[in-house]
This record gives sequence, structure tokens and C-alpha cells, in this order.
Amino acid sequence: MLISLSHIQRLYRSDEVETTALLDIELGIEAGEFVAIMGPSGCGKSTLLNILGTIDRPTGGSYSFGGQELTELGEAALAAFRRENLGYVFQSFNLIDELTIEENIELALIYRRMPKAERRRRVAHAMDHVGIAHRARHYPSQLSGGQQQRAAIARAIVGEPRLILADEPTGNLDTENGAQVMDILQRLNDEGATIVMVTHSPSHADLAKRRVDMLDGQVVISVRNAI
Amino acid sequence: MFATILKSVLRQMRRHPLYVGLNMFGLALGVGVFLTLTLLVRYEYSFNAALPDVDRLVRVDTHWTMPGTPPGEVAGSTFRALPFLREDFPEIEAGTRFENTELQTEQDGVFSSFVSGLTDPAFFSVFGLKLLHGAPDQALAQPDGLVLSDHAAIRLFGTTEVMGRTVRLNRNGVTVTHTVTGVLARRTTPDLFSGIEMMAPFSSEDMTTRFCFLSWGSDCGRIYLKFRRAGDIDAVSARLRDFVMRHAAGADSDSHALGTHPEKIFGLLLAKLGEARFRDFHVLYAEDGVDRTVINSIGLMGLLALALACANAVNLATARAGLRAREVAIRKTLGASRRTLLVQFMGEAVLVAFIAGVLGLALCELLVPEVASLTGEALVVRYGLVGVVLPLIILVCGFACGIYPSLILSGYRPAAVLAAARMPSGGRGAARLRDALVTGQFGIAITIVICMLVINHQTVFMRTADPGYVRSGLLIGSAMPGHDLAAQRKMLDALRAVPGVITAGFGELAPRPDTKNLGTYSYDRPAGPVSVYLLQDVVSVSYFEVYRPRLLAGRWFDAAHGQDDLPPRDEAPTRKANVVLNAGAVSRFGFAAPDQAIGKIIKSGGMTARIIGVIDDMRFESPRQAIYPEIIFFNTLANQPFNDPIPAVRFQGIVEADMVRRLNRAWAGILPDASSDFSAVDARMSAYYSGDERRGRIFTLGAAAALLIACLGLYGLAAFAAARRVHEIGIRKTLGATGRQIVALLLGDFLRPVALSCVLACPVAWVVMRRWLAGFDERITLTPAHFLIAVAGAFAIAILTVLGQTFHLARAEPARALRAE
Ligand SMILES: Nc1ncnc2c1ncn2[C@@H]1O[C@H](COP(=O)(O)OP(=O)(O)OP(=O)(O)O)[C@@H](O)[C@H]1O
Ligand SMILES: [Mg+2]
Repeated sequence: MLISLSHIQRLYRSDEVETTALLDIELGIEAGEFVAIMGPSGCGKSTLLNILGTIDRPTGGSYSFGGQELTELGEAALAAFRRENLGYVFQSFNLIDELTIEENIELALIYRRMPKAERRRRVAHAMDHVGIAHRARHYPSQLSGGQQQRAAIARAIVGEPRLILADEPTGNLDTENGAQVMDILQRLNDEGATIVMVTHSPSHADLAKRRVDMLDGQVVISVRNAI
Repeated sequence: MFATILKSVLRQMRRHPLYVGLNMFGLALGVGVFLTLTLLVRYEYSFNAALPDVDRLVRVDTHWTMPGTPPGEVAGSTFRALPFLREDFPEIEAGTRFENTELQTEQDGVFSSFVSGLTDPAFFSVFGLKLLHGAPDQALAQPDGLVLSDHAAIRLFGTTEVMGRTVRLNRNGVTVTHTVTGVLARRTTPDLFSGIEMMAPFSSEDMTTRFCFLSWGSDCGRIYLKFRRAGDIDAVSARLRDFVMRHAAGADSDSHALGTHPEKIFGLLLAKLGEARFRDFHVLYAEDGVDRTVINSIGLMGLLALALACANAVNLATARAGLRAREVAIRKTLGASRRTLLVQFMGEAVLVAFIAGVLGLALCELLVPEVASLTGEALVVRYGLVGVVLPLIILVCGFACGIYPSLILSGYRPAAVLAAARMPSGGRGAARLRDALVTGQFGIAITIVICMLVINHQTVFMRTADPGYVRSGLLIGSAMPGHDLAAQRKMLDALRAVPGVITAGFGELAPRPDTKNLGTYSYDRPAGPVSVYLLQDVVSVSYFEVYRPRLLAGRWFDAAHGQDDLPPRDEAPTRKANVVLNAGAVSRFGFAAPDQAIGKIIKSGGMTARIIGVIDDMRFESPRQAIYPEIIFFNTLANQPFNDPIPAVRFQGIVEADMVRRLNRAWAGILPDASSDFSAVDARMSAYYSGDERRGRIFTLGAAAALLIACLGLYGLAAFAAARRVHEIGIRKTLGATGRQIVALLLGDFLRPVALSCVLACPVAWVVMRRWLAGFDERITLTPAHFLIAVAGAFAIAILTVLGQTFHLARAEPARALRAE
């Protein structure tokens, strides 16, 4: 078991209101899996993904990754963990406006000790992989939504992470662009990456190996797709 | 339109209180400091300017070229010259003599001192000063006449209706009664008589006996001339050399003349009063002189404070422009025209500048009395000046702050802004502009801080530098008028008998001397004769124990050595004396070391002096001035009296104020009619330092304001940068950056312009301060410490600001940062 979540809980407390984003999550993910998470808006999908990505901390429960308990790690160790193991694709791209596409992608490597030439090679390779090499020197605002999403995916995969987290990677895209992105994700999965993807599209969810349905902060069903 | 602008400004204030507050406060501070310092500079530049016919007024100065001393201009000239000047130059309409002095009034045994002048009846025909009461041509016509300033009238009588009232004045130890014949009207612009509280005519005894009325080589005051036409001044100046040759020449035996070739050592100059304020800084004994560079620097500081504040405002405005880009884009999409937006943004900037300007004016009103008391000048807020300057500042500042955002924002193509994923910061051009402004601001601030450190260091150094004698436990009295041998002996005995006094002695010189005696002495060096113009002092027994000078070679005087006592004058022409020189004199005579001078003979006229000792230089005058080479004679009071000796006392074990009281009482037992005025060295010398100190304080004030403004700017910018980068930081952290890496990244971005500004500031400050220090005879050396402290301070402030702004950001959960938009 690569990932195991048990009794994960996430409360948001603001002044008087208390929101329960995640109530009690039990979830295990094997290495090499491709999991699609579905559920109505506000049920806690992004929150769950954030916790898997360690960019948010659960208020209760435990999260172990490859046998290591992550909830006990400090700031610096978590940063190192993300650096080495994770690729993140956001719903809203989250590219830095002031940097070119190439620089945005390189950002995922810049915090590792890696020679410049090696970084360049990997960035070029990742851009080829998603088909945006011809836009390397452009700024994010000069790209279409589909191109930006592909750049974001390139950034997520450039570090060859063990786990790729994608939050509605196709949500902002038309059918064709969406299909392309799904294509890339499937190819990455075939190459060995574990992928967890949030999506509202049943057809895209069907392309994953397993489907997890959520409702009000809880996992309701988890089904393996027949392939 | 105005309503829209007002509403928008108010909304900005509510939405971004930090930015608007920083902007407004910084600008108000800049405007306040600028206005205040501008008023001060204007005040200095207007000195004498309001004197009637100032362009036709001159002071006659003397230019001495004496052997062994650098030639120099002295503010003042022998009174002997006035009648000849009137006679030889019909271009002169009127002339008057004026001696600055202190007059003491005596009421029931209580003495009060007044800053005063003795002058001629013609005073008011030269200076058309207005009288509140009395007739200008009559006021000083009678020998017992007395003109009071309105201040002095109120101080003495509580009213200005004082015509005909009598005042008992103590003049040279004699009490005389004067009748008030005029009261000066108050003047608002400063001039050379601003401080004068009393004016009385010279006494006829003065005019017939005092050297400075009779002899060409002596002066005790100034001659002021009024020309018929301003254009004549230069022509007459050119003819003064001939004038000196005609009138000052005389046989060597004529002690009132200056020898056969007076023009070689003595010249007369005409110093225009309109230009005197700054010129006098380089003239000896001109107490009103001010260093123009210092005044200009103060003005420059005001300008810099304003410029810094404006730079801040521009900086924050361009930064904030980015925040509003989306709003503008949406407005434009909805149909707002470029012109409307331009007017809107310009209007907002000018409105903010206006509010800041009003606050600044209020600040100026608060600051001016402070600065007035710091400088001791009668500074007031002049609305004539403010009324012109302030609207100009508001418009220029408002325009400067508004121009960039309005052009950029109104020029945005909405699609580009709306397409950008996140809030834009105004593009790369704006970022570069902000970097340049931060560099400029910090460069200026660091320069100012270095200057401030050096100036303060120098001021403290002057105060505490070793003067060559022991200052603490030393009290010095007024000069005892006259030549009464018995009274002088009694005085020393009386002072020595006061409990707490270790010993007392006389010298003819003391810290801040009123009169100085100089003479030319020559030494027959093996390499050829050398003449040196020496300051002469005569000291009594115990002088050494009182002042405790440092003996460098030989010995001090000893009453047991009969040879040490200066023989009386009537034994001339073959007087022989043992003397002590100071280190300066020894080196002027060309001795390599003090001990080589011991036993050598120097001569002056009929006097043969054997050097028995050398002491270190003793500083009795301004630290800006080189110490005179000096010769000291010894008078045991066995055969002859001193000339107006100055008593000095070393005491121990008693509070200074009590000691002063006891000494004054002991003095009154011998000389009840003269005031004794015992005071410490620091008090006597403070006049030399106070100008530098006061201007130093103004400089410090301006520097602190400039620094504060620069910090405000940096703070605002750091806050803005942090806010703008919240999102970026979230992304970077998701990608694995640690908190420390994030802080380092932000610090790096911020410190680069600060580092650059240090590189620019240090050389500038170095050049400026070297030039300033060159004006002091006694000065500190510039050390790296001055620069390092300022640079370290700048970095510390920058780091703290950035850390304060980014620390929590760097620590926050990335998910939260990504959510924030
Ligand atoms: N920072 C926060 N403070 C308070 N409540 C929050 C915060 N973040 C999320 N929530 C709440 O937690 C719940 C889950 O949010 P989450 O973003 O995980 O939903 P989601 O399933 O991703 O929805 P969507 O499909 O619309 O993206 C929501 O009810 C939301 O209001
Ligand atoms: Mg979501």
C-alpha cells in the first residue's frame, strides 16, 4: 500500500462557524493506481487532494506514504517530501505570471540539487511530452487555457514524481483538449506513476482504474473499473 | 466628477488603510519637513536683507598679512580710519563706529547683562532702523543717551513707554546714569543688530585714550559706511591700498602707525552687508557668519525629504495601480473612456496630495517653534512663502503620483488584464521603476545617515577633545578692569582664601578671550632668521596649577628664579625675560622638537627672551580656528600690575554652583562695582560650538525624518510585494520550497537594490564629509566604522521589514495561500 489514510478529518474554524470539509476518510491507494475522485461541489474533494499533497494538514487522523507517517513531519521535511515525490496539477493552473512557461516548469526542479543542464533536458522533455515546446518562451497570459493546463501538467511530471495529484485537470477545457490531457495522464500511469485525479466528468472518471465517490466529507463508494 | 473622486479615495482608504495611510503620512512628513527647512533656509538667506538701503552699506574689514601666520580677514578695523575715510572719499554718505560689548545695569546691587553696542550719533543715519519712540537723529546725540530694544525695555521696566527713564550702567567699573532716548522697533527679518538690546554712545574718555581709536594697529569694533551709490563701493575698494599708504605710514618710533610700509601687512576691505551672512563664515571674529554649505545642505535635506516622500507615493501608487487593473479593465469593458479614467486617477492622486499637504502644513506649524528653539533663531511660519510653495508641492506631487498609474491604467487593454491569471503588478517596467526608486531612496537615506554620524561624532569630539589643559574643576572670571597692583594682589589673595579653592592665578588670556595682544618675534636660525607673529600672554604664580597645561620640555616659571619675572616696561629698551612657548610657536620657529628650543633666544624690538619651557597648545578659541603660536611671560606681581587680568581658580570638593557663588562674593569684597561672572570653560566656549551643534541638531532632525520616510516607503513596498506574492509563494511551496528558501528569495529581491544603494551612497558621503571636516582645525578622521554602521543599519532595517512582512507567509499552509486571490 503506497498511501493509506485513516480517520482523516478536516475542520475549518472561522470565528463562530465551523465547517467540516472532511469527516472521516478511510482510503488506501496502491502504487501504480489511477484513482478518479468524484462527488458534488463542496463535498471535500479539493481538501482531500490538498491533504494528500501535504499542502494542507488534517485536523485529525493519520496519513502514511510508503510506510512513513506524514502527519508527524515538520515543515522542512514536508517540503522535502513534496519536492521528491509529488506532482500537482491545479484546477486553476496556478502558473506564475512573471515567469515564462519554461521557467514555470523548471520551478519544480529548482529546489532540488540538480545541474542546470540536467534541468534543461528534463524541462524540454516534459514540454515535448505534453506538446507545448513551441510556447516555451511565452508567458502564461499569452497561452490558451488548454495550453496553460498542459504546461501545468508538464510542471507536475517534470520531476518524475511517484504520485501525481490532479484537481479537475480537464474542468476548464473543451472536449478535445480534455481528451488530450486524459491521454497524457493515462500514458504517465502506464509508465508507472500513481495518479489521483478529481473530476466531474463521468467519462473521464471511467478512464481511471478506480473510482471513488465522495459525499459530505466522506467516501461513499469505491469501485474498480473493469478494463 | 469631484464626488466620484472623493468617493473613490474614501473607498481606497477603507479597503487599503495601510497603503493609503503610509502614503499620506509619508507625504505629510515630507511636506512638513520640507516647509520647515525651507523656512529656515529662507531665514538665513534673508539675513540683513531688510536693512534699509542694504546694497549701499558696507563694513570695513582689515586684512592682516603677518609673518608666521596665514593672512586673514578680520571683521573690524581700527576706529582711527573713519575720519580719514570720510575726508578722502566723498562717495561715502555717512559712517559710524560700532563696538559690540556687554553693558551691565545695576539695580540695588544686582547686575544684569545686556548684549549691547557702543556707537556714534551717526548710527541712525547709516542704518535707517525704525524707532518705536524717539528721534533717530537725537537718540544718540547726548553722551548719556541710551537706546533700548523693545525686549530690553520690557525686561527693565515692563513696558516700552520708557522715554526719559534713567538706567544705571556699569561701565569699566564705574557706575554712570543714562537716560533712555530711543526704543527700537521690533524687526521681523534678521539682521546684524537683531541681538542688540542696548546702544549707548562712546564715552569721550574712550575716544581719547583707547588704543583702537588712536592706533592703526589696534581694533576693537567695526566701522560701517553708507555709500551714496552702490556702484561706488568697488571703486573705493580699489583705492584703499593708497589710502593705507597715505595715512597708516609712520616712523618706526610712532607706536600709532604701522611703519614705513603699512600696506605690506595691513589692508582694508569693504564687506557688503547684504552678503555678509555667508561671507563672514570665513572672516575672523565675525560672530554672525554661517557656513553657506551647511545652510544649503539643510535646504537640500528638506528637498530630499520631500523627494523621498514623493518617491514613496509614486512607488506605492504604481504598485497599487496593479491591484486596480482588474477593476479598470472591467470598467473599460463596461464603457468608461480613457479620458474619464485619466481624470479620475489624476484627481485621486491630487486629492491625496492635497490632504497630505494640509497635514504637512500642520506639522510645519508644530515643527517651526521647535526648530526656532533648536537654532536660537526667531523663525516663524511665513504664509507668503508657504502660500506659494504648498500649492506647487501639492500639484507637482499629485501629478507625479498620478501620472504613472493613470497612463498605465487608462492605457491597459482590458483583454490582456482579464486574461492574466493573477493580479498584475504593473508589468516589468513598473517593477524596474520601483527598484530604481528604492535604490535612490536608500542611497539618499544612507548618505544622510553617514553624514549625520560623522557630524555628531565631530560635534562630540570637539566638546570632549583635550584642550591642552584640565577643564573640570576650573572656573574663570571676568577681566579685572585696570592696572591697580594692590587690588590685583588683594584679589588673588581673596580668591585663594575661599574655602574649596585649591589655588588661583591670573592670565591676560583665558578661554574665549575678548582682546588679544600679538607681536612679531624673530629667531636667528643657523639657516637664516625667521619671524613669527606670536600671541602674547602674561601669567601669574600658580597659573600652572590652575590650568594644568602639559609641559613638553624644559621647565615652567618659578617665582624663586628672579630671571623668570618679566621686567617692568620702563626698563626698556633692553628688557630680558624668560619665556615659555607653546608647541605651535616652537614648530613655526623651525625647531624639530620641543627640547631643541630650550635655552634659545628670540627677540622682539628691545626685548630679548630666553625659552625656558615648551607646553602643549592650549585651545582657548574656536575648534574651527588654528591655535595661535603663543609666547607666555611671567609676572609675580612683585613690581608691576597686569593689564586687565583674568582670574582663574582651581577648586575641589564643592558643587560648581556653590563655588561660583562664593567666588563672586569674594570678588565683590574687592571690586563691588564690577561683575565677576565666574563660569566654567565649557560655558565660556559654548559660543564656539553652539552654532555647529545647533545646525548639527537640525541636520539630525532632517536626517531622522528622511530616514523615517525612506523606511515607510520600504515598509509599504515590502507589504505590497508580500501581498502580491502570496499566491506565488503558495505555488513555490507546493513545488517543494522550504520556508527558509522562500524568505531568502524575498530577501534577495529586496536587498539587491539596498546593496546597490550602499555602493552608491558611500563614496558620495565620503566626499561630502571630507570637505566638511576640512573646515575644522581639530577634527576626527573618517573611519570605515561610520560607513559600516550606516550600511549595517540599512540592511538591518530592510531585513526586518521584509521578515516582518513575509515570515508568516513563508510559514503558512500553501493551500491557504493558493486560495487567497
Ligand atoms: N479555507 C476554508 N475555510 C472554510 N471553509 C472551507 C475552506 N476551504 C474549504 N472550505 C469548505 O470545505 C468544504 C469542501 O471544500 P472543497 O474545496 O474541498 O470542495 P470541492 O469538493 O473541491 O468542491 P468543488 O467541486 O466545487 O471544487 C466546502 O464546504 C468549503 O466551503
Ligand atoms: Mg474543488
